[in-house]
Amino acid sequence: MFRTCDITGFKIDLKAEKLIRANAVFAVISLLLAVIAAILLVFTRYQPVHLLSAEWYYRLVTFHGLNALIYWIIFFEIAGLYFGSTVVLNTRFCAPKLGWFAFALMVAGLVLSDIIILMGKADVMLTSYTPLKADPLYYLGIILFAVGALLAVILFFGNLMIARREKSYGDTLPLFTYGLMTAAIIAVITLASGALIYIPTFLWSMGLIQNVDPAMYKLIWWGLGHSSQQINVAAMVSIWYLVSFLSVGGTSINEKVSRTAFVLYILFICLASAHHLLTDPGVSSAWKVWNTSYAMYLAVLASMIHAFAVPSSFESAQRRWGYNKGLFQWLSKAPWGNPAFSAIILAVIGFGFIGGTTGVIFGMEQTNIIVHNTIAIPGHFKGTVVIGTTLTFMGITYYLIPLIFRRKIVGFKWAKAQPWLFFIGIALLSISMIVLGQMGVPRRHWDSTFSGGPFTYNFNPAVDFFWALMMLGGTLAFIATIIWILIVVISVFFGPKVNGPADMQLKISPLAPQPKAHKGFEAPGTLVLTIVFLLVFIALFFLNWKWLAATWYVH
Amino acid sequence: MENDQLPESKKTPFSRMIMDDFMLLLFLGVTIYAIFYLLWGVMELSNLPTIPEEIKQSLVK
Repeated sequence: MFRTCDITGFKIDLKAEKLIRANAVFAVISLLLAVIAAILLVFTRYQPVHLLSAEWYYRLVTFHGLNALIYWIIFFEIAGLYFGSTVVLNTRFCAPKLGWFAFALMVAGLVLSDIIILMGKADVMLTSYTPLKADPLYYLGIILFAVGALLAVILFFGNLMIARREKSYGDTLPLFTYGLMTAAIIAVITLASGALIYIPTFLWSMGLIQNVDPAMYKLIWWGLGHSSQQINVAAMVSIWYLVSFLSVGGTSINEKVSRTAFVLYILFICLASAHHLLTDPGVSSAWKVWNTSYAMYLAVLASMIHAFAVPSSFESAQRRWGYNKGLFQWLSKAPWGNPAFSAIILAVIGFGFIGGTTGVIFGMEQTNIIVHNTIAIPGHFKGTVVIGTTLTFMGITYYLIPLIFRRKIVGFKWAKAQPWLFFIGIALLSISMIVLGQMGVPRRHWDSTFSGGPFTYNFNPAVDFFWALMMLGGTLAFIATIIWILIVVISVFFGPKVNGPADMQLKISPLAPQPKAHKGFEAPGTLVLTIVFLLVFIALFFLNWKWLAATWYVH
Repeated sequence: MENDQLPESKKTPFSRMIMDDFMLLLFLGVTIYAIFYLLWGVMELSNLPTIPEEIKQSLVK
C-alpha cells in the first residue's frame, strides 16, 4: 500500500515508512543513552569534579561506546537504507515481516547488552579485548544486534533488486542511493568480521572453548570496530549530496567522479582498521604500511574528492540561481536559516579540518607513535563520528520529521541554533582532547593524575586549561544534543500535522537551472576553500613530524 | 546479446556496468579486505614463534 507524498511527489510504501520510523526512534533512544553516559564521563575525566568511581567510569565507557558508536549510528543507518532503497527509488519494501524481525533482533540486542553492562557484568569497554571477559549475555546481545543489522542490509539489497526489476528508477541508481549501497557493502564486511570474532568470544565466555588469542582477537575485532565507522562515512557523504539536492537543487558537478570515489571506499576504506595495530609487535611493518598508507590513501583520495564535490555542488547550484558575485556570494546567500543545510556545512568543515586531517596524520606508522593510546585518538573520532556523522544525521532529521513523520518541527528557532551549538561544543571537545593527547594524556583512564600510584607524571601545566575547555565543549554538546532530542520527540509525538507543502518549514528547492555558457571554472570558491584546507593539512602534517623528531634526543 | 543490437548511443559503457553491479562490488570489497587485512594479518600472527615456557612461567608468576 502506497501514499504519494504531496511535497516531494515520491511514492511511499507505508510498510517501509513504519520501519523507517521505528528504526529512527530507536536511534534517538540510543543517542539519549549515549549522551547521558557521555556527560558523566566528561565530568569524571575533568579532575576537579571527578564524578564517578573507577568502577562506574569503566562501566559507562563501555555503555557510551556501544550506544554511541554502534546502536545510535546503525539504527539510523538502517532507517536511511530503507528510505534510500524504497522512498527514493519509488518502490516497495521487499519483505516487511523480515524487516520487523530484523528490527526486533536489534532491539533485543540493545536491551540485553545495555542491561548486562549496567548490572556490572561487562566492564570490558567497547573493544572488550581478551582476556577481559564479560558475561556471555553481553556478547549474545551484540550478536543478536549484528544479525538483525545484517538481515536489514540484505533487505536493502532486496529492495534494490526489486527496484531494478521494476525499472522504478532511471538508467542508474541516484547518487544518494549509490552512496548508501556503498555503506551497505561496507556493512557486510563489518558484520562478517563481527561474526568471526564475537561468536568464538561468546563460546569462550561460556567456557566452551579454552582460549581466544588476544593478538588475533584485536586484529579481527578492528575489522568490525573501525569498519563500522566507515559505514558512517559512506552514509554521511550520501546525505551531504542529498541535502545539497534538497536545499539548493544542487547535484555533483561530475557525478561519475563522485561514484568512482564511492567505489574507492568499497575497495580500500576497510583496510584502515590496521591503524589500531600500529604499535602491535605481532604484525610486520609491511602489513601496517600497506594497509594504513599505500592502499588506504586511495580511500583518502575518495574523501578528498567528496570534500571537493559536495561544496562545489552547493556552489554550482547557488551560482546558477544567480548568486554569482565574487568568490563567496554563493556561500553568504546560502540558506543558513535551514538547519539541515547549516548542519551539513558545519559537518563538512568539522569532518575535514578536525577528523580528516588527524585521521591521516594519526594513521601513519611514524606519527602515530606520538599519540597512540592517548586521549587524542578519541579526540580524532569525535571529529569524525560526532561532528561529521552525528551532526549530519541530526541535520537530515529536520527533513525526515515533516516528510516521513508528517509533523511540523516544534521549536523551529531552537532547531536553527542547535547545529551551531553542537558544532562549537564538539569542536572544543575534540580539539581539547587532541591537544591533551599530544601532551601525553592517556585515553580511557579514570585518573590521569595517577594519584596513589607507584609512580607519577607531571604533565605540562597547560593541560589544566585544555581539561576545562574539554569540559566546557562537552557540556555545550550535551545541551545541544538534548535540545535536538527534545525537538525531535516533541515534534514527532505532539507536533502539528503537515498537511501539504505550505506546512514545510524547510525549503525543498527545485533543481537548479541548467548552467549558461560560462567562462572559467564552475566552482572557484570551493577551489579556494580546498586550497586553504590543503595548506592547513600540510602545516599540521609537518608539525607532527617535527614533534616526532623531538620525541627522542639523539646524541 | 541484446545489448549488441542496441544503437551505439544506448549502449551502457563498460565502466558503468562495473560500477552499477553491486554484487561485483561487494565481491571485490570483501576480497580485497579479506586478502590484505585479514588473511595477511592472520598469517603473520600465526607464524609468530611461541613464547618459551620458562619466560611464560616467569611472567605468570
